Amino acid sequence: MMMYFKFFKYLYFILFLFTSCEKVITLPIENNDSQVIIEANITDQPGPYFVKLSKSISINQPNIYPIVSNGSIIIADNKGVKDTLKHTTGGIYKTNRIRGVYGNTYSLEVKVDGKIYTAQTTMPMKVNLDSLRINSFPVNGENRYSIIPVYQDPVGLGNSYRFIQKINDTLDGIYNIFNDNLNNGKINQRPLNNGTEKISVKLFDSISVEMQCISPAAHLYFYSLSQQSGAGPGGGTAPSNPPNNIIGGALGIFSAHTSQTKVIKILNK
Amino acid sequence: MNRKFIFLLFIGVLGITHQIKAQEITTVNGTVKDRLTGESIIGAVIKIDQLANVVVTSNEYGFYAISLPKGKYDLRISFVGYEEKRIPILLNAPLITNIFLESKNQLAEVVVSTKRKDDNLTKAQIGTETLNMQSISKVPVIFGEKDVLKTIQLLPGVKSAGEGNSGFYVRGGAADQNLILLDEAPVYNASHLLGFFSTFNSDAIKDATLIKGNGPAQYGGRLSSVLDVKMKDGNNKNYTVNGGLGLISSRLSIEGPIQEDKSSFILSGRRTYADVFLKASEKFKDNILYFYDLNAKANYKIDDKNRIYFSGYFGQDELGLGSSFRINWGNKTGTIRWNRIVNNKLFLNTSFIYSDYSYNVGLKNGETNFNVNSNIKDVNLKQDYTYYLNPKNTIRFGFNSILHTITPSVFSGTVNNNMNKVGRNGLENAVYFNNNFKANQQLTFDYGLRISAYSIMGGDQYNIYNNNAITQSILLQKNEFGKTYMNAEPRFTSNYRINDLSSVKIAYARNVQHLHLLSNATAASPSDQWIGNSYNIKPELADQTSIGYARNFKNNTYELGAELYYKSMQNQLDYKDGTNINTIADVESSLLYGVGRAYGFEFLVKKKIGLFSGWISYTLSKTERKIDGINEGNWYNAKQDRTHDVSIVTILELNSKWTVSGVFVYSTGNAVTFPTGKYALGEQTIYQYANRNANRMPDYNRLDLSATYENKNKKKNAGSWNFSLYNVYGRENAYQISFQDDPSDNSKTQIIQTALFRWVPSITYNFKF
Repeated sequence: MMMYFKFFKYLYFILFLFTSCEKVITLPIENNDSQVIIEANITDQPGPYFVKLSKSISINQPNIYPIVSNGSIIIADNKGVKDTLKHTTGGIYKTNRIRGVYGNTYSLEVKVDGKIYTAQTTMPMKVNLDSLRINSFPVNGENRYSIIPVYQDPVGLGNSYRFIQKINDTLDGIYNIFNDNLNNGKINQRPLNNGTEKISVKLFDSISVEMQCISPAAHLYFYSLSQQSGAGPGGGTAPSNPPNNIIGGALGIFSAHTSQTKVIKILNK
Repeated sequence: MNRKFIFLLFIGVLGITHQIKAQEITTVNGTVKDRLTGESIIGAVIKIDQLANVVVTSNEYGFYAISLPKGKYDLRISFVGYEEKRIPILLNAPLITNIFLESKNQLAEVVVSTKRKDDNLTKAQIGTETLNMQSISKVPVIFGEKDVLKTIQLLPGVKSAGEGNSGFYVRGGAADQNLILLDEAPVYNASHLLGFFSTFNSDAIKDATLIKGNGPAQYGGRLSSVLDVKMKDGNNKNYTVNGGLGLISSRLSIEGPIQEDKSSFILSGRRTYADVFLKASEKFKDNILYFYDLNAKANYKIDDKNRIYFSGYFGQDELGLGSSFRINWGNKTGTIRWNRIVNNKLFLNTSFIYSDYSYNVGLKNGETNFNVNSNIKDVNLKQDYTYYLNPKNTIRFGFNSILHTITPSVFSGTVNNNMNKVGRNGLENAVYFNNNFKANQQLTFDYGLRISAYSIMGGDQYNIYNNNAITQSILLQKNEFGKTYMNAEPRFTSNYRINDLSSVKIAYARNVQHLHLLSNATAASPSDQWIGNSYNIKPELADQTSIGYARNFKNNTYELGAELYYKSMQNQLDYKDGTNINTIADVESSLLYGVGRAYGFEFLVKKKIGLFSGWISYTLSKTERKIDGINEGNWYNAKQDRTHDVSIVTILELNSKWTVSGVFVYSTGNAVTFPTGKYALGEQTIYQYANRNANRMPDYNRLDLSATYENKNKKKNAGSWNFSLYNVYGRENAYQISFQDDPSDNSKTQIIQTALFRWVPSITYNFKF
């Protein structure tokens, strides 16, 4: 469906090729209620894992996010392991002994300035990324390329995936968020988005794709982010903070996911 | 049930007594038509010189009937754009008098016209505007294509869905809360080409009436408005060909008699050819971008009492990219109508209506190929009786029964739904009664009751959710009836004529809507999903109260209207953030429910007659929603909430050949949600949001100019040229505002405003022979 919206944007573009115009503007800025941001990940790779605490800033400030170094963080699993994280540097906290295991449920407790934020997540079973395939299709006489991650979706319903694509080591910035609401139990045939106006997959590019099996809560969070587009009559649904799994009012996400990366070079078939 | 029984029931229920006085009463009836074309005239006003308080208007088929004591009378018939006619009659026995009016060719016509010079003061209707198609051609529009949906957006209380868009909002209602009818058939998506054209080909259309929420009881099914568009019947005297050649599209229509005076037809087609230009360019040769539509209508007069009409519409949009991507959508409608003059007081129309809207999205790139199809189909039977009881009471009653089949997003190809989605059926029934009662020369009432019912029908499983968790599942077998929702919709309008120059009006109506649109885009988009009532989704309700004041100046040359309205809405629908309405197994699991309110003040002043005509329209309004799960359950602005909305339309006839016109619009920007803050997650900037729709797009304003050259002295083989310029001063009106990391300095956020067009010139050549 992402593809679909992109296509619409493209149609608008050709429809108004000779007239449509963009310009940089300024808007009156409202006060922002600075909030605690929690970015906590546990993966199936060997630890340590990291939790990053920061604070949100106003839209007109430079992108230098205040770090939170005085927080206290505990991650525990449902097998009785309890891990108190240590602040390293720049608001990043490190685990000591907790391990990412498929099917384990992890709980997070973060204390910042007397406020407590909690979250819980379960690491999904691993679905193997078997390979990457190149999908090529001609558009206006020019070949375009996209990547199809090949994996076998399990029979049961409720599998969610996130794909992080790097084009020649540069993040493309697109949220490729799938689930098995479509094609449950089948080998995936959906391609990843082939890029943005700034960066897209081209011939001879080296593409790395990280596949993450994510929880339904993480799917909701990232899918919501993927749906946010500009505001106005030309925009989509009204944007809001994506629904997350953190209780207590912090933004961000606590995700326990698998991680597997494959690389492919785009060559002519 | 036989008709008489239903009729007696209605009469009985509402306690109307039919008094037969000592004087013997008899009836004159007939049809009002254009003398040259035989086209029936809707809304012609018939008065009687001898009886000042008798005013009758011809109905949708040009039919009228008046019951009077026996005697000698003079009928005086008038309609805008036609010469007034006086016909003396001797009424001793039931009499049929068909009336042929002669059109005035030279006089400037007013675009938005009430039927008679001071008709705005006598009619009970409130919040109603009729557009005469022949005259809207002088109003400048984008791409030079005259368009009823874009012209109504220049009226008070009606807001455009966006730049150049045919979508509209009426008095704070959503786009799906407008009932758009083409010869009685509902049109589910009235837009072509992402909204830049409407589905209505103005060559095939006779007139369009917009009722902003206080409609009579024969209309129902949507909360905010009814736009009743009627196709031409076709000239039953001569063959004529009309057409237009424009830069983007062309149209052609042919009409004429099949048998003179007995039957006629009209066939009208339109196609855009932007794709032809795209093909010429190497860079865009694979792009597909066009639409076409076809209107056809024929009527046959069986005898003096029976006439039958067939009308149909077929339209299709095709957008795509070579063989790799394809989107198409289209409406098909068909109406068969049978007019029967049962007796000289009772007019009956029976309609059988079919409507089909479907869309397809196809993706084929490399080995991936899939198709998504959605569809909504209606089969509709309607009987509508008009009973001309006496000069004071005109009663309408009837029923309407619609079988809806709604099939949402069925995937096929290499990407599939997990469960086969099947079409859901719903049966919507309504009975209604409406009386137009002229109490005396000053006071008119129009009141009625509509009872609508919607039954969930079988063939699918229905889940009941509580806080989005399933609590019960109900499997209904095919043709099995599930829950039925029944609602009473009372309607009341009254007009009090204070004096010769002014009147006040008051109205209340409840409207009920059983079909709902879930949309993830602002403009009508093929990804929209219609859904009927279910165990979770209750009928939407709206209660609207309005009061109005109308006054005419300078011998009815100027007309002023002011209205206030308040509308409250219940059972409004939205869905949770992060819901993909197209792929989710059961969208009902993610729905949110709430209420809405809209209120405002509308002002319209028109100059109706003369070489210089036009109007100024102003709306001051507020539109809010309150939905559990959105904006922490607090009231928030609906996106179409625009505080001020101004339209100025002027038309000036310079001489017998040239007409120039101008449109100026100004409105407050849409309510939108801009981020208030930002943070970083996984090396990406994420924006933080606060209250829903608490921000505003920049104000919108635009001036359009148009000039039409037409030699009015030539009646036959006449050609006219229309030159227009949209957005004369090239203002970059914001279409979208987006936030991104500044490409030249990643540490900053850049705000980008996109405007769709600056100047859009167009030339259209229209011909007629």
